Amino acid sequence: MTGMRHHRLLISGLGLLVALLFAVSLLIGYAPLDFGAALSDLLAGRESLPALVLAELRLPRAVLGAAVGFSLGVTGAALQGLMRNPIADPGIVGVSGAAALGAVVAFYFGFSATFALALPLGGLIGAGVATVFLLMVARSGADTATLILAGVAINALAGALTALALNLAPSPYAALEVVFWLMGSLADRSLVHVALALPFMVLGWGLVLASARAMDALTLGEDAAQSLGFSMQRVRLLVVGGTAAAVGASVAVAGAIGFVGLVVPHLVRPLVGHRPGRLLLASGLAGAALTLGADIAVRLIPTRPELKLGVVTAIIGAPFFLAMLRRLKVEGP
Amino acid sequence: MMRAVLLLLALLAAAPAAAGEAKPARIVSLNLCADELVLRLADPGRVASVTYLARDPRGSTVADLAAQVPVNRGLAEEVVPLAPDLVIAGAFTTRATTAMLRRLGFEVMELGVPTSLEEAYAQIRQVAARLGEAERGEAMVARIKAAMAALPPAPADHPTAVVLRPNGFTAGRGSVPDSVLARVGLDNLAARLSTDRMGQLALEEIVIAKPDLLVVNSAPDAPPSLADELLHHPALAPFAKAARTVPLPIRLWACAGPGLAEAARRLAAARERIAPGAPSPLVGAPAGLLQ
Amino acid sequence: MIVAASGVEVRRGGARVVRDLSLDVRGGELLGLIGPNGAGKTSLLRALCGLDPLAAGHIAFDGRTPAEIGRAAFGRTLAYLPQNGRIHWPMTVADVVALGRLPHGAAVLDDAARRAMAAADVTPLAHRTTGTLSGGERARVLLARALAVEAPVLLADEPVAALDPYHALQVMELLRATARAGAAVVAVLHDLTLAARFCDRLALMDRGALAALGTPVEVLAPAPVAAAYRVAVESGTRDGVPFVIPWSRLDRTDRTEQSP
Repeated sequence: MTGMRHHRLLISGLGLLVALLFAVSLLIGYAPLDFGAALSDLLAGRESLPALVLAELRLPRAVLGAAVGFSLGVTGAALQGLMRNPIADPGIVGVSGAAALGAVVAFYFGFSATFALALPLGGLIGAGVATVFLLMVARSGADTATLILAGVAINALAGALTALALNLAPSPYAALEVVFWLMGSLADRSLVHVALALPFMVLGWGLVLASARAMDALTLGEDAAQSLGFSMQRVRLLVVGGTAAAVGASVAVAGAIGFVGLVVPHLVRPLVGHRPGRLLLASGLAGAALTLGADIAVRLIPTRPELKLGVVTAIIGAPFFLAMLRRLKVEGP
Repeated sequence: MMRAVLLLLALLAAAPAAAGEAKPARIVSLNLCADELVLRLADPGRVASVTYLARDPRGSTVADLAAQVPVNRGLAEEVVPLAPDLVIAGAFTTRATTAMLRRLGFEVMELGVPTSLEEAYAQIRQVAARLGEAERGEAMVARIKAAMAALPPAPADHPTAVVLRPNGFTAGRGSVPDSVLARVGLDNLAARLSTDRMGQLALEEIVIAKPDLLVVNSAPDAPPSLADELLHHPALAPFAKAARTVPLPIRLWACAGPGLAEAARRLAAARERIAPGAPSPLVGAPAGLLQ
Repeated sequence: MIVAASGVEVRRGGARVVRDLSLDVRGGELLGLIGPNGAGKTSLLRALCGLDPLAAGHIAFDGRTPAEIGRAAFGRTLAYLPQNGRIHWPMTVADVVALGRLPHGAAVLDDAARRAMAAADVTPLAHRTTGTLSGGERARVLLARALAVEAPVLLADEPVAALDPYHALQVMELLRATARAGAAVVAVLHDLTLAARFCDRLALMDRGALAALGTPVEVLAPAPVAAAYRVAVESGTRDGVPFVIPWSRLDRTDRTEQSP
C-alpha cells in the first residue's frame, strides 16, 4: 500500500492525468480551432491566426491552470503538514486573501506598470505576512478553532482592505473587479502573466518540496522532529517562503481560487498512506489536475460571461470543508 | 426629527417643482450623458451641478465646460441643498437617488440609453425641448447629420469590425456604436457573435473572427485595471502591428452628442486606410480552416 | 558512550527549573529519573536533547557538545521519546516506526526498523493504522520508533505512563534490554516500584536540583523520598530486588499539595 513502487505509480498516474487535462484545456475554447494546423504553424514559427490563438490565449491559460493548481495543492499539503491540521488551506487561513491584497495594491496603484515584477512581489509580500502571522498565532501544532479564527480574521481584514484599495484606485473599473481577486479566474491571461508568475511559483515549489522529509518527521510533533535532526526554523522558513512565493505569484495573476489546497490533500492523503512528505508532490499534481478540470468546466458551462474559477472550486470545496469540520469536531484534530 | 427635516425639505422643494414646464434655471445632472447635453445646450449660469465624471477629460467630451460648474457624486444629499428645478438622471444609474428625489417632490427627467443613431438624435431633441432650448438641439442634430453626410461613401465590400471595450465588452446589435459602424459602412462582427448590446466577448472569439478593423475603446493613459489590461493582451498585438487597430476614446460615442460625428469621421478614415483585399494581419491562415 | 551533564541550569520564563545539575550516564546503564511533579525531570531531558537552551553549564556526548556533533549527526546520536507523544496522521505502524530511520537517510522499513518493531512487540500491528491502536499499543509503537534510530543514547519521558501492568513491565524490560545492548538509557518514571525494580541507578530530582543519585536502595530510602515526595513508603526486598510502595502522605496541611 505505501511501498515505493506504489508511490511511483501514483505519481506517474497523476502526472499523466495532468498532461491529459492540459491537452484538453488547449483543445477547449470559445471558437473552433484547427488544432493540427495551429500546432504545425506554431512549431514552424509561422504567424498564423490559429497559432496565435494557441500560443497567446490557450497556452497561457493551460500553463497557469496547471501551475496555479500545483501551487495551491502543494502549499495546502505543506501548511497542513507544518501545522498538523487538515484544514490549513491557503484560502481558508487567509494567505490567498492577503496575497490578493498585496497584488491589488501593486497593480491598481501603478507600481506594476513601472516595475513589472511588482505584481508577483506584491502577492508574495501579502502571502508572506499572512503566513508569518499564522505561524505566530499557531505556534506549536494549531488546533482547528485557532486556525479557523485566525483565517477568519485575516480574510476579513484582507478582504476589507482589498475593497478599500479598489475603491481608492484611480481606475473607474477597479471597484468592479473585486470579484476577480476574491474568486479567481484564468480567462484571457497572457504569456506575460506566465513569465511574471511562473519563476516565483517554481521557486516556491522547490522550497516546499525540500521540506518533505521534515514533514514526515513532524508527524511525531516538533520535539520529536527536532530530535530526529531537523531544524524547525529551517522547516518554517521553507514552508513560509515557499507558500508566499507560490501562492503570492498565483494569486497575483489568477486571483484567489479557494478550496483547492483543502480538497486535494484530503483526497490524496489515503493514496500516499497519509505520509505528509509524499503528500506534497502528489497534492501538487492533483491540484493541477483539479484546477485544469475546473477551468475546463467554466468554459463548458454555457454562462456568459464565464463563471469565475473560484465559484466552481467553492461549489466542490465548501461542502467538503463542512464535512471535515464535522468530523474533526467528533474526533478531535 | 428626521421626518421633520424631510418634510421641510419637501416643502422647500415643492415650490420650484410646482412651477411646472417653465424654462428651468437650476439644472442638476446626475448622469455623464446628461452632463454633456446640459452643458452644451444650456447657458452655464443655469447649470447648478453636473457629475464629477464630466470633469475627467478621459471620459468626458465637456471637461472644459464642466470645470466652471459645481460637481456632484450622485447623492441626494448633494442635490437637495441646490434646490434644483430640474434633475436629469440616467434610467439605469443612481436609482435610489432618483427615487428619493421624486419622493421629496423634485422633477426628475430620466434618460434612457439610445439604441441607434435615430434614438440618439431623438434624445438630443427631447432634452433640448425640456431645457427650453429646442433650436439649439435642432442645430446640434443638424450638425451631426451634416458631418455624417460629408463622410466618403461606403464601399460595397463592407469590411468587418469589432469594438473592444475594457473587460472584453463589445458593442453589439442595438447599440449606438453598432449604428455608427453601419453608417460608415463597417460590418459589426459583434452583432453576429454577441446577442445583446453590452455583450462580453472572449478574446479568443475576437481573434478567431479575424475582423478587418479592431476598434479599441481605451484611453492611452488610463490608470491600471484588469478591464483595461485586456486591451493590451499580446494576442491583439498582430492587429496593432498591421495597423488594423483603431483607438477610439469611448467618450466620443458613449453618449448622444457631437462626439458621434467625430467617431464616424475617425472610423471612416480607418476604413479608407485598409484598401479592399489588403493582406490580413496574419499570414498562413486560410479562411476555410477557421469556420 | 558517556553522556556528561555538568553544572546544567535551565530557565523557563525567568524561573530556574533545573539548577546546577551534574550527572553522568554511561552506555549499558538504565538511569531512572524520578521526582515529584514540577521537579524539572522533563526540563532536564529536553535540555539533554538540545530542545531547550542551557542557561549555564554544558552537556557532552563522549566529550563533544551537540553543536560540535552537528544537527544531523546528533539525530543519530540520540533518540528521544516525548511524553504523551502524538501521531498526527493515521499512518500505518510500519511507516511510523520507519520515521526513526530518517536521521540515517530515508524513512524506510529496513532491518533496523524491523528489529525495533520486533523488540517492542508491534510487528503484528505493522499494517494497522495508528488511529485504530489502543493507548498501550500506541505507546509501544512510539517506543519502537525511538528504538529504530538505534542511537547510543535513548531518552524516554514517562514511557510507561499510560500502560497497564503487563505492558509497563514489557516496556521496562525493553528499556533495560536496550541498555544491556550498549545504549545509555534515561527514563523519567513516576512508578517508584518499577524504577526500583528495573533501573541500575536512580536520580531523584526535587525543585530543579539533584536531591539524590545512586542505586535504587540508596535513593529510595525513607529519608530522601520523604523529603522530595512528602510521602512515607513501605519498602522491602524480594530476591535482592527492592520494591517501594508509597503508603501515606506526610505534611497533610501543606497548601501547595499537587494533584497526581
